[in-house]
Amino acid sequence: MTTHDEPDLQLLERDLRALAEPRPADELLRIAMRGELTSRLRPGPRRRLSMRIAAGSAALGAVAAALAALALVGTNGTGEPSAADAAIIHHALRAVSPPPNEILHVRLVGVQNGVTVVAETWRQTSRPYAFRVAKGEAGHQGEFADNGKTSFVYDPGTNTVSESPGPRSPAFADPIWQVRQELASGRAQLAGTVVIHGTALYKIDLPHGLVGFFAERNYHPWYLDDPQRDGSVIRLRVAAYEYLPMTPTNRALLSVTAQHPAARIERSAGGGAK
Amino acid sequence: MEVTAVVDRRSARVHALDPDAELVAAARAHPREFLALYDRYFERVLGYVRLRIRDAATCEDVTSQVFTTALEQLSRFRGDGSFAGWLFRIAGNAVHDVHRRRAAEPLIDDRADPSPSPEELVLARERVHRLRVLITDLRAEQQHLLALRYGAGLAFEEIGPMVGASPGTARVRLHRILEELRRRYPHDDA
Repeated sequence: MTTHDEPDLQLLERDLRALAEPRPADELLRIAMRGELTSRLRPGPRRRLSMRIAAGSAALGAVAAALAALALVGTNGTGEPSAADAAIIHHALRAVSPPPNEILHVRLVGVQNGVTVVAETWRQTSRPYAFRVAKGEAGHQGEFADNGKTSFVYDPGTNTVSESPGPRSPAFADPIWQVRQELASGRAQLAGTVVIHGTALYKIDLPHGLVGFFAERNYHPWYLDDPQRDGSVIRLRVAAYEYLPMTPTNRALLSVTAQHPAARIERSAGGGAK
Repeated sequence: MEVTAVVDRRSARVHALDPDAELVAAARAHPREFLALYDRYFERVLGYVRLRIRDAATCEDVTSQVFTTALEQLSRFRGDGSFAGWLFRIAGNAVHDVHRRRAAEPLIDDRADPSPSPEELVLARERVHRLRVLITDLRAEQQHLLALRYGAGLAFEEIGPMVGASPGTARVRLHRILEELRRRYPHDDA
């Protein structure tokens, strides 16, 4: 056998290995699949695959067609549902797992006590995880931001930015963080498919009460149902979920002072007013 | 008594040969222990599938399906071969079923997909496309052998029993496949 002595064969072998080479997102995939296996190892009833998925549909596209095929592959036609469910949950997790070195922009809109509220965030997906959050009643959102060393709070009433040393918790800056964690927990459950305002969505029950709705087309988050202590449910519309490149213009989205250049700045811990 | 003795001898022999025997026994006794087998084989199964299926989402679905099926059917694994051989047989069947289904649905043929996959960022797009086509044109058992070696990264000592041959024979078979591929896959950077 002389494959390693022959340059052409070595190159061919190199290319063959490259086709199967591990990729950065594999670890996320491994964790997600492990979570699904863990959930299967817990005792409890299994739900059946929804007819919508089992039957397939031209509109569902290639991925859903493959899922429908796999539902039959794994079971020799016996109809075991959970593998297809797991695949959908995995795709949803992948769709809300940001790549490094970009800015995750999320805008959520909901109605609380008859008032439209907005929460909009921009967050770096790599260190130092700088972020800016605008949150509150539509048109009157307060803002806060953090660049990893200093935190900033903007008061629109006085057009003032207050600076103080020390970072805030970055978990505040990513409203999808909890969704991501719970999708990866292995305890999320596909509850079926629904159509809301003409968009076909997967409905996924998350372990701590949140319900996520993800587009069948690309698994992007579309709505979140957030149950309240009084039994009511606030539906949040995911008006934006996107990754922005780290251009100078987009970097400015992370900064309160860049967004409000005319604001008065108050610095704590020895800082002076400008 | 005699039958029992034969079974015990065979079982003991397989146990000695199969490096996963202890983990398999543990998983049978305590299903949660299956996760150790999953951790051991996740990367290899994913690599195997990636060599045979281009579409990334389908690769992930198939890999997930392989382990789900293995977990569900572990009680049917008789231990008269290695666990790895059994697992990659499940993987081979899952890949085969995807290809069979896709043959009936040419619109979702891997080869017709124009979107770039990550490996195309490393290798020239045309070469990868050519290599993919050549692999797809191989017989299923040839693809299986190729994927065990270059996808799962297994040694010939492991591959041989999986394909019903000695390690040496598996090596020779693979060499023939490589020669066949090389004739149809000219390198321009050799």
